[in-house]
Amino acid sequence: MKQLAMRTCLSATLLVLATLTIGLAIAGCDRDPAAKVDLSYREELPPPQTPPSITYAYLPQYSHATSFMRHGQIVEYLRKATGLPVRQVFPDTFDAHLRMVERGEIDISFSNPVAYIALERSGARAFARIVERSGEPVFRGQIVCRSDNKALQTLDDCKGKRWIAVDPLSAGGFLFALGMFLDHGIGPKDFAEIAFAPGPGGKQEKAVLGVHAGRYDFASIREGTLDIVNHTLEPGSMRVLATTPGYPSWVYAARKGLDPSIVAKVREALLTLSDRDPEHEAILNAAGMKGIIPAEDRDYDPVRDLLAKLGLDPSKVIGE
Amino acid sequence: MRMPRIAFLQRFSLRCMPFRHKINMGITLIVLLVAVLISIYVTRLATEALLDEGKRRGTALATNIALRAADSLLSSDLLRLSNIVNDLRGVDRDVVYGFILDDTGTVMAHTFGKTFPVELLKVNRLEPQQDAATLLLDTGQGHIYDFAAAVRIAGKPLGTVRVGLSRGKIVESVNDLALTITLVCGISLAIATVIGTQFAHKVTRRLNALREHAENIVCSELGMERSTFATRRHCWDTHRCDDRDCPAFGGPGKRCWVMLGTRCPRCSAALEAGTLPGECHGCLEASQPGDEIEELADAFNVLAGALHSRIEELRATERDLTRQQELLHTTLEATPDLVAMFDDEGRCLTVNRAYADFAGREPDELTGRHEKDILPEAVAGAFAADTVRVFATGQPSHLETSLQRHGKTHHFHVVKVPVFDETRRVSGVLSTARDITELRDYQGQLLQSQKMESIGKLAGGVAHEINTPLGIILGYAQLLQDDVPQGQLRDDLGIIEKQAKFCRKIVSDLLGFSRQTESQKKEMCFNNSIMEVVSLVRHTFSLENVEIITVLDDRLPIIYGAPDKLKQVWMNLLNNALGALPHGGIVKIRTRLDIAHMTVTAEFADTGTGVAAENLRKIFDPFFSTKPVGKGTGLGLSVSFGIIEDHQGSLEAVSPLPEGTITEPLPAGVLAAAPQGEVPGPGTLLRVTLPLEPINPPPPPQEG
Repeated sequence: MKQLAMRTCLSATLLVLATLTIGLAIAGCDRDPAAKVDLSYREELPPPQTPPSITYAYLPQYSHATSFMRHGQIVEYLRKATGLPVRQVFPDTFDAHLRMVERGEIDISFSNPVAYIALERSGARAFARIVERSGEPVFRGQIVCRSDNKALQTLDDCKGKRWIAVDPLSAGGFLFALGMFLDHGIGPKDFAEIAFAPGPGGKQEKAVLGVHAGRYDFASIREGTLDIVNHTLEPGSMRVLATTPGYPSWVYAARKGLDPSIVAKVREALLTLSDRDPEHEAILNAAGMKGIIPAEDRDYDPVRDLLAKLGLDPSKVIGE
Repeated sequence: MRMPRIAFLQRFSLRCMPFRHKINMGITLIVLLVAVLISIYVTRLATEALLDEGKRRGTALATNIALRAADSLLSSDLLRLSNIVNDLRGVDRDVVYGFILDDTGTVMAHTFGKTFPVELLKVNRLEPQQDAATLLLDTGQGHIYDFAAAVRIAGKPLGTVRVGLSRGKIVESVNDLALTITLVCGISLAIATVIGTQFAHKVTRRLNALREHAENIVCSELGMERSTFATRRHCWDTHRCDDRDCPAFGGPGKRCWVMLGTRCPRCSAALEAGTLPGECHGCLEASQPGDEIEELADAFNVLAGALHSRIEELRATERDLTRQQELLHTTLEATPDLVAMFDDEGRCLTVNRAYADFAGREPDELTGRHEKDILPEAVAGAFAADTVRVFATGQPSHLETSLQRHGKTHHFHVVKVPVFDETRRVSGVLSTARDITELRDYQGQLLQSQKMESIGKLAGGVAHEINTPLGIILGYAQLLQDDVPQGQLRDDLGIIEKQAKFCRKIVSDLLGFSRQTESQKKEMCFNNSIMEVVSLVRHTFSLENVEIITVLDDRLPIIYGAPDKLKQVWMNLLNNALGALPHGGIVKIRTRLDIAHMTVTAEFADTGTGVAAENLRKIFDPFFSTKPVGKGTGLGLSVSFGIIEDHQGSLEAVSPLPEGTITEPLPAGVLAAAPQGEVPGPGTLLRVTLPLEPINPPPPPQEG
């Protein structure tokens, strides 16, 4: 009996000890290794310095990051090809872009044709323009409707119909189409409704979908949009009613007063880019272009004419 | 002082602790251990989870800042970068600092104010391909988790975002959680203790009830009348029984399958037999006895019932056994046979009183002794060999043997039978010795009687044949005497006549012995018959100095007998007495009427030489005589014996005389006047007893 009691006591003691050991083991195990840092040792930091460089800016159509992603490689290419300290800068707005070009803070500007008309007024001069992915150095607008809409056969049929456009200031998505309607003597008031796709992002696609859904009779879009939309719609459900005349595409311009030799070096380097070279092809693809060709200011006269026709101030228009 | 301390320790030892406290302590200990383990484990898990969560939050915060700072870094917008890092302070109270570096490692914005702790720049630096890193910093005042996140666009590093989160703040919430868990565990412990107490109380209450129930069973001699356990369902419900006279009917805790002596034919018989009937297991289940303790109580009841039944059987068996033992003991003690039991080594196991008396010892003294130590050496060997043979063969044995004890020869018939044990092995021998000495004597007497009968017949036949020629011889001798003158011849004829008469007397006695002489029986006076003979011989006896004293019963007994024959008997008896008194003495004749037995007795006592003990039986044999040749025929007593037997009476001899035979009931003067022999012998008493009336009276004589 006595042995039994002793054994019981021993068991209970062992149980308690085991529990405490396990508990302490669980409680006392790992702790992250700590690095000693003395936060009280402080210094005053000099303000960040920006080194002198040739500045390159992409019209802020997208976020800085997107701009960097698209043109960061071209900038790097230019640094290597020209040996110049080319640096990409990121104006926050379209207006800021114009102002910075005016103030000489942007040396090389890459902008759409409408913006270029505004930049040209501050003394910037075009020296190169891109070849679209389609292989043409121009881009167009398109009027599209449902394939089964028999009522729309000609531009005149569009009168009194509901029109959805991409944006009031969109070149390919609205302005080119409006210019074409005006050329046919059809004014904005001849339509039952002119609506614009809700933003942000994907406005071209939304315009097509608005027509496909039957909400609108026709849409004005940039050429090439249908190829993208066809992934979501059944093929052949939409048809192109009309295509606008082509207008020159995006343009490289040098600010007023930039050293012509620098311009020449840059132009030379840009024109060298070829989609036949895999390395160059990657750079061009990232920037959304097929190639770069020489350009002159007069290549953009049709754009000036269109703006004049529409009575728009190019500095207020956002390109695509 | 030591004893009270031990008692105190025992009182608080686990073994002596009440069961209720043990349960309480067990539950409390278990809950406490579980609570401690859970507290520690959960706290640990929660701490890890919270720290991991803190780390993930810090990493997410840094990554988020890195994403937000990308554009601003690209545009070198110091104001926006500064806003971004300053916004961190509002995110959470555990954010200690935040700063942003560009791809050259230049601090673009930070939350430290004018000065910057440059040592931070040396730690937690990201490798070119590394997206994020976490490092615990020990600042001396506390610990800070430093999170670094790379700012990248299209895989190109633009800079680094660093965020510091206070570990202490995270641990604070961990401590809050631990406190909460501890509180919950404590409350659980308290609740468990309370519930455990209730539970223990309930269990121990029922255990105490069970103990009380068991005590009741014992106190009520294994009866179940005071059961403390009430059942949920009763036997009369289960069996649909309406027998209100059954002892199991009514009353709590009574069920026929746990009670003896009920009227339930099934359960009662099974319980009497000590087995629970198979169907009653169904009864038990149907009765829903409750938990295991109630089942245990029922099992107790059944056990008690079975025990009660067994004990009663045992008592009855014990009584029966005791009775049989007493019977056997009495039988063994009462039997005159010598009974003894021996084991396989010949040692005595037990003996009866007769055996012990024969051995001359107490029964206890004989136990354990060998047969040879008890019996005389002459027979011990044969007995032991006999015992060994019985052991070897397993067959009973019979043996007749003789023993000399106290100068007398005893004949014994010894029977030895084997005693078998349960394996049919011979475990002992039962020896029974019967004293057959008397039987042997009777056998001898029978033989003698048969011999006498043959002799009688032979003698009768011879006497009958001799009687006629003897009569002729006697007749011619008497005739010749008349014809012959006095002289030698006449004297010789006289001798012939005398000897012929003597022969005729012998022949007559032989005929009487063989009862071939007929005599008429009639009613006669017993005393007169004797007195006639006495008066005839008194004178002759007095010449031989022998005094005849007669003490006759004055009630004049009348008997039915042959007077001549009886006179002959008296004459023979008196002659026999005279022969025993060669130097004179007294012959006392006494008659006595015994009304109760309807007999009359005549005793002829003399003070003569007496008869030796070994001759007492032989004196009635024919031709037995102690007298010298020519003095007696040896036929007197045997003829008398035959006559008395013919009268359906008895003749017996006693010697020496019983005390006072002569002196009582005589007056002293008579005896003193009597002539005395020179040396009075031991004397002989011959006693004749005759019935007053014949047992089978002959038919009365026909008239005419």
